Amino acid sequence: MLQSLRNIGRLTLKELRAIRGDRVMIALILYVFTAAVWLVSQAGSTEVRDLTVAVVDEDHSPLSRRLTDAIRPPLFEAPVLLSADAAGPALIAGDYVLVLDIPPGFEADLRAGRSANLMIQADATAVAFAGNGSSFLSQTLAREAADYLSPGSESSDLVNIVFRNRFNPNLTAQWFTSVMQLMNNVTVLMLILAGASLIRERERGTIEHVLVMPVRPHEIVLSKVLANGMVILAASVASLVIMVEGVMGVPIAGSLGLYVFGAALYVVAAASIGLMLASFTHNMGQFGLLVIPVIVIMFLLSGGMTPLESMPVWLQWLMRTISPAPHFVAFAQAVLYRGAGIGLVLNEIAAISAMSLAALALVLARFRKILS
Amino acid sequence: MDVAARLEGVSHRYGKTVALGDVTLDIPAGKMVGLIGPDGVGKSTLLGLVSGVRQIQTGRVEVLGQDIRPARIRAALGGRIAYMPQGLGRNLYPTLSVRENLDFFGRLFGQGAAERTERIAMLLEATGLAPFPDRPAGKLSGGMKQKLSLCSALIHDPDLLILDEPTTGVDPLSRRQFWDLIDRIRHNLGDMSVIVATAYMEEAERFDWLAAMNDGAVIATGAPAEIRAQAGTATLEEAFIKMLPEGDSAAGVTLRPRIDRPGATPAIEAEGLTKRFGAFTAVDHVAFTIPEGEIFGFLGSNGCGKSTTMKMLTGLLEPTEGSSKLFGEELSTGDMEARRRIGYMSQGFSLYSELTVRQNLALHADLYALPRERRAPRVAEVLAEFELGEVAEMMPESLPLGIRQRLQLAVATIHEPRILILDEPTSGVDPLARDAFWRKLVSLSRDRGVTIFISTHFMNEAERCDRISLMHAGRVLDVGTPAEITERRGAETLEAAFIAALESETPPEGETAPPETAALPSAPRGARAPGPLVQALTRLWAYCWRESLELIRDPIRLFFAGLGPVILLLTMGFGISFDVDRLSFAVNDQDRTPESRRLTEAFTAIPQFAATADFADRAALDDRMMRGDLAVALEIPDGMGAALHRGTEVPEVSLWIDGSMPFRAETARAYALGLMSDFSTQIAAETGTSSDTSLTIETRYLFNQAFKSAHAMVPSVIVLILMLIPAIMSAISVVREKETGTIANFRSTPVRRVEFLVGKQLPYIAIAWIAFWVLATLGLSVFGIPLTGSLPALGLAALLYVIATTGFGQFISSFTATQVSAVFATAVIAIIPTVNFSGLIVPVSVLDTSGRIIGLSFPGAWFQPISVGVFLKGFGLGDIQPKLAMLALFGLLYLALAVTALRKQER
Repeated sequence: MLQSLRNIGRLTLKELRAIRGDRVMIALILYVFTAAVWLVSQAGSTEVRDLTVAVVDEDHSPLSRRLTDAIRPPLFEAPVLLSADAAGPALIAGDYVLVLDIPPGFEADLRAGRSANLMIQADATAVAFAGNGSSFLSQTLAREAADYLSPGSESSDLVNIVFRNRFNPNLTAQWFTSVMQLMNNVTVLMLILAGASLIRERERGTIEHVLVMPVRPHEIVLSKVLANGMVILAASVASLVIMVEGVMGVPIAGSLGLYVFGAALYVVAAASIGLMLASFTHNMGQFGLLVIPVIVIMFLLSGGMTPLESMPVWLQWLMRTISPAPHFVAFAQAVLYRGAGIGLVLNEIAAISAMSLAALALVLARFRKILS
Repeated sequence: MDVAARLEGVSHRYGKTVALGDVTLDIPAGKMVGLIGPDGVGKSTLLGLVSGVRQIQTGRVEVLGQDIRPARIRAALGGRIAYMPQGLGRNLYPTLSVRENLDFFGRLFGQGAAERTERIAMLLEATGLAPFPDRPAGKLSGGMKQKLSLCSALIHDPDLLILDEPTTGVDPLSRRQFWDLIDRIRHNLGDMSVIVATAYMEEAERFDWLAAMNDGAVIATGAPAEIRAQAGTATLEEAFIKMLPEGDSAAGVTLRPRIDRPGATPAIEAEGLTKRFGAFTAVDHVAFTIPEGEIFGFLGSNGCGKSTTMKMLTGLLEPTEGSSKLFGEELSTGDMEARRRIGYMSQGFSLYSELTVRQNLALHADLYALPRERRAPRVAEVLAEFELGEVAEMMPESLPLGIRQRLQLAVATIHEPRILILDEPTSGVDPLARDAFWRKLVSLSRDRGVTIFISTHFMNEAERCDRISLMHAGRVLDVGTPAEITERRGAETLEAAFIAALESETPPEGETAPPETAALPSAPRGARAPGPLVQALTRLWAYCWRESLELIRDPIRLFFAGLGPVILLLTMGFGISFDVDRLSFAVNDQDRTPESRRLTEAFTAIPQFAATADFADRAALDDRMMRGDLAVALEIPDGMGAALHRGTEVPEVSLWIDGSMPFRAETARAYALGLMSDFSTQIAAETGTSSDTSLTIETRYLFNQAFKSAHAMVPSVIVLILMLIPAIMSAISVVREKETGTIANFRSTPVRRVEFLVGKQLPYIAIAWIAFWVLATLGLSVFGIPLTGSLPALGLAALLYVIATTGFGQFISSFTATQVSAVFATAVIAIIPTVNFSGLIVPVSVLDTSGRIIGLSFPGAWFQPISVGVFLKGFGLGDIQPKLAMLALFGLLYLALAVTALRKQER
């Protein structure tokens, strides 16, 4: 037993040296946990911001001008005036997400108490923006029109609604994407790093060499999980504290210690899956082909990209059964955003642990087969 | 003297290492020329330069009378030179059959079908491969692989045949057959010059002319007899060792007699040892007894089961039947104690290349659990004993093969094992280093009483063993001292005895040497050569056809190419959804009036909100939100209904939203705003307090009336998938050849870069285009996406798009070195712009300028509007013409870049 622990320690040290020797991998880890986290949180946000809007003003009244002026940053880009004929083709070409139509005689109709109709055309191929964008645009327009027609009355609504956003008061998308990107990086790097370390030994024949020595397979597997896991865990925690909290200023609500504990469990699970995939392939090329679809699936269907509850129920159930990623994302969201304590995330922790054990068991079962 | 190749002042270096230093050499034509010398002295570099596979750095190389520096000359000479690179069957395609391999090489030289059939039949007949035209090259024995390599080199009747260590790692029988074959071919084609590099000095005896090399320089030339005479030795091997600077000090190997101790427990006893892999019996009831301290040699043809037997003795493999005993104790695979008694060296170098020599030794000392205080001294001892002190801090990869083998042996003996099991430890090692290695073995055996079990192909090594066993097809044919075996077979030398033993065992479907009388039919010389264009197309087709065959026979790649897109579309189509549905919703109604109930109902009536149990206070709300059970909560304060009735003030309600997912929160907010304004309008209409505005704002969702996420996402996801998978597939295709070594065929034959690239790209274009139709069908059927535009127009655009994406993959692979880096570089470079800047989630119009430029410099951003447009916006061919032109341009651009980046010669 003691000998076994010692062997694991020595092999872990060896794995750490191997990682240190791999300059490209270190560069990749550094890039992914610093620049990439920042870049991704900057780009590709689903926040309604700077939406492109065009206005077809056929009224040319003070009100129509006032409505046009009300469309402004940060939600919208300053609108472009288009003729009625140009609007259709521009929408088809995808130049604007929203087009507002102000019909002729709009202000006159309203003043005369006749019903008047504004039309918002939304390019629904931009699903992430069309719905919320048009909803916000119509709110803005309604308020502006009410204010113009009967100054003083702030809203036409009879009930005022006060929105209180828990955990992220301004709904800053960056808070979400930066942390989720961090989760995804852990998944991606763990799978690749752990898998590659096994494949490399297989390709060079060193694994055979080690197995001739008084070393048991589980010692090899555990040392790989430990060494690669420690590196990624340390990098991700450093990135969380330095990049996400420090540089990007995203507040972390919960206990960092609890997060590290959960992340450590997840890292073991991801490393075991990487080793398992590696045990099914013979060389790096095949491993690359196998690992990429797995990464894409684990990454997109973890709840870190789009909410899990938007998926069909069978898919949610499937992902929760086969992948530890949804559990980790749920855990991280609860701890980091909502400041949940351990009592609230026990289920997720249990699920991640169970999956780690299952994957480890499978790797060990396949280990002897690898050699023949 | 007629000259086949002339080198003048040729130098070549790799980084700081000098491989060739100012070599000037005339290689005579029409002869069998041998290039001999230790490893790493520049033999392969010299052959690479002569064959035109490697780029000349300094100096002048003339081959067949022409300076080969200009590419034009090399292209013209390509058809007259044949080059067989180092490594057993490294230029062959393992999944292709014998005939398919030869067909491919024939096409590379632009031969027509009739000519190929004739030549292949002739070559197969001559080499004795005729009975197995349909066997995959990967399943051939080592000797047969070499013959097939030779056939592929001879398919175009070369004037100069260059062979780089063709017989390394091949058993003596196959070796002899190989050289007989070469002799017969030269006999028939009298004017063919052959240049061979070899590490087997016995073989060098049969060559007409030799050039001995050491340390990047030629140290002697002449006929073998002349070289022996110069050195005054009986054999070439001795002569060679004498010529080396360090040669004088190097003594030969002397085997001191072993003191036999009858009655002692044998070190190794094997009984009925059998291993089956499925239906194949690799080792068939092998038995032997080896006394302690003996050097036991293990000889046999390639793939006869030697390595498998050795692995069973180390406990790496569990025998199917039978048992083995070490010092009288049964060996079981989990026995840790037994392992401490064994040292093992596997075929090829298998130590950690990321650790230094010293670290490797220390790790092994640790893992063998040497007592702590013994570890450091033992490592120092071993470093001194194996003369590794100078290189202790170096990385193994940077050491010559001979020293690496010594390091392996040092590692295998670090724990002072009583048994050493060595699997072809000296394969590919030069004579000098081999002698040094053997002196170590002798000293271990005689001074320390270590039992050594060693397999080898070298007959002079076999002669140094106390006893040897001959193995063939999984069975032991004979065991005894070398002298006994030679006598028993009635042969003069051990080699002859070995060959006789193997020949007497004609396996049922094994190779048979062709009858000696079978003259090689003369080749169909002067067959009308096809025109240059036809030849170019034949070469292109050669690569296209071969790539397709390989792809079809590789299950993992086929799975990735065929099912990968489907799996990705299903997961992403279902997974990336912006439909916010069934948000968990709870209410705390402190008002309890009809109005408050109506407001609650307004929320729960729409499918976007799913009502859950009411909450009583803020603490309950906090708890449920923290758990993630509650997304939206409405709090209606006391007095709202009353306030509405009075109409004097505007009552306030609070809506709590879980903001940890901003998109979901924003959408929930938008829904709530809509609900509140509907609610106000209704109340106003009923109470008659209708405000003076009768403004209505109507939103129309264009192109996706149902406003379903999948309708918009699936056409975009298809764009992403057709970027990712085809690019990765084609990226692997070129790099694979670099890794497996078959790129040598591209370098040494007249095939042009465009032919090579386009030929390899075509199958991937086809498979990606098929994938497009599958994806489109899935989109229409599974996801129910409407098709409003012209499908043929989309098909055409998809074809241009996959030409561009496969071209992108080839471009990446033309400068990456390994499959892994190609796969990940393609994924990283292609995916980020395609996901973020091609309109998949954020429309291109919303991006800032830099994002837009990044997006538009990849084909994805041009195909995405076409895909979305044809599915949802009713696009026809007329709407997409400029974008089609751009896609075509991308295809051409990537091809041009790949052609520029791909090197026809190695540096």
